Amino acid sequence: MTITGAQLDALTEIFNIGAGRAASSLSDIVGDEVLLSVPRVEFYRAHEVNANVLSLSSARLGSVKQKFRGPFNLTASLLFTEERALEIVQEMLGSQVQKEDLVEYEQEAMCEVGNIILNACLSAMADMLGISFESTLPEYSSAAPDLVIERLVLDADNPLLLVLHFNMLIEKRRSQGTLIFWLSSSSLQELMLHLEQFLSRI
Amino acid sequence: MEPEELDGGASWPLILDAVGLGLVLVDADARVLLWNAWLARHSGVSAQAARGKPLAAVFGTGLSASFVAALSNALRYRLPVVLSNVLHFCPLPLYAQTPADAATDRMPHAITMTPLVLPPWGACCLIQITDSSRAISRERVLQRQSDRLNREVMTDSLTRAFSRGFFDHFYQQEFARAQRKGIKLSLIMIDVDYFKDYNDAYGHPAGDKVLIAVVQALQAVLLRSTDKLARYGGEEFVVILPDCGEHKALAIAELLRAAVLALNLPHRKSGISNQLTVTLGVSTLKAGQTSSAQALLDAADQALYAAKSQGRNCVQRRSPQTVPAPA
Repeated sequence: MTITGAQLDALTEIFNIGAGRAASSLSDIVGDEVLLSVPRVEFYRAHEVNANVLSLSSARLGSVKQKFRGPFNLTASLLFTEERALEIVQEMLGSQVQKEDLVEYEQEAMCEVGNIILNACLSAMADMLGISFESTLPEYSSAAPDLVIERLVLDADNPLLLVLHFNMLIEKRRSQGTLIFWLSSSSLQELMLHLEQFLSRI
Repeated sequence: MEPEELDGGASWPLILDAVGLGLVLVDADARVLLWNAWLARHSGVSAQAARGKPLAAVFGTGLSASFVAALSNALRYRLPVVLSNVLHFCPLPLYAQTPADAATDRMPHAITMTPLVLPPWGACCLIQITDSSRAISRERVLQRQSDRLNREVMTDSLTRAFSRGFFDHFYQQEFARAQRKGIKLSLIMIDVDYFKDYNDAYGHPAGDKVLIAVVQALQAVLLRSTDKLARYGGEEFVVILPDCGEHKALAIAELLRAAVLALNLPHRKSGISNQLTVTLGVSTLKAGQTSSAQALLDAADQALYAAKSQGRNCVQRRSPQTVPAPA
């Protein structure tokens, strides 16, 4: 299945709307401006993906996962390196907390940050495509990068991956994260169908 | 025999009231459908008073903006939302005890919102509230333990002066700060004269007592909280004097010398006196001078040796080499 430039553009636009919503929720929590943007969207097959391809080289990766059900199903995982997660949590909590003391807060805080970003992306998609989703609660896990990715691949059946690289700016500091959507090929077809309908309406 | 199925109508409210967390069910307009006993206990609002009212009316101004936004998102997009206790301390006005001590005694909690579709009401949202105070007090206990361990690592166990480990860290920090801001920094190295002979003459327990007394006497001279006295090793001590020039550092060193002498501790094996004395070396980084932490330390050490060869129980000074600032 080929994905057209127009479809990729439409997806990038949808996710940027989601990123804007997530940024506004995060700004409310931090009490300072948070900027989020999705500069590019890419498709991969499961076997093509590893930590290097996703530019996620780190001793440990954290992941926040939610499974979405709707006209098509997808599993969404927000992946971030442990160092990034600690930085993000530190920026959100303010600098009075020492970095080494943050580890204990990381899981809860990243679960919430992940939940905000995932929900915002999927609700933007639901709004734009005129559909709706249900979701499981966010689950957090952390492990060595290959293990995290291997687990994700095993979890999905015949998966295709929609990979979003996003930039995040909190209190003038830049960090990157990766959001991965795992879709079965039938779900991808369904998504493309909805995208086509959306494109034909505009 | 198969257990009988639960009588939904009568038993569920009893079960919900027995649950050890807060449960609120709201309809699509955020009106309260269900309010369990846990929540009544910790909010001070009875189920009877809450039922049928919009959540905002039940809690009034007590609802946090983040809670309102999260609930409106959960209801609008039908996606589950979590509010962690880390990023929100107390999103709802809930209290550990009855609301009598409301002003001070908020109960920290975490919240999960799960959209549901339930037959009689249609789209609803179940809000679960868990008490995080136990997790928080556990964290505080760990924090206290870690503070205590830090203090122990920072402190010399015998004399209660700062430890060598603390000095190494603090000195590097202070030196870097002085260079960055172009301000003065002085070091005083202090050696207890003929301390080995003291131990030989009076025994090690007496030697330990003398070191404790010396540290107390030195500490009493250092009035600024930024001036730090550390045990550098054995009977050698070091004082860091941030933002202190040579003139003042020499005066302080003289006070330190006099303070130990004033202890009047007999020392029959001293080579220079019949009482315990100290010898001191001073080095100063001048305002705007570029040098290295090692050069300033070496200069203090050289000053100390110069004072020793001068006959001890005295103060000498040496200037650190100027080292060009790193590019």
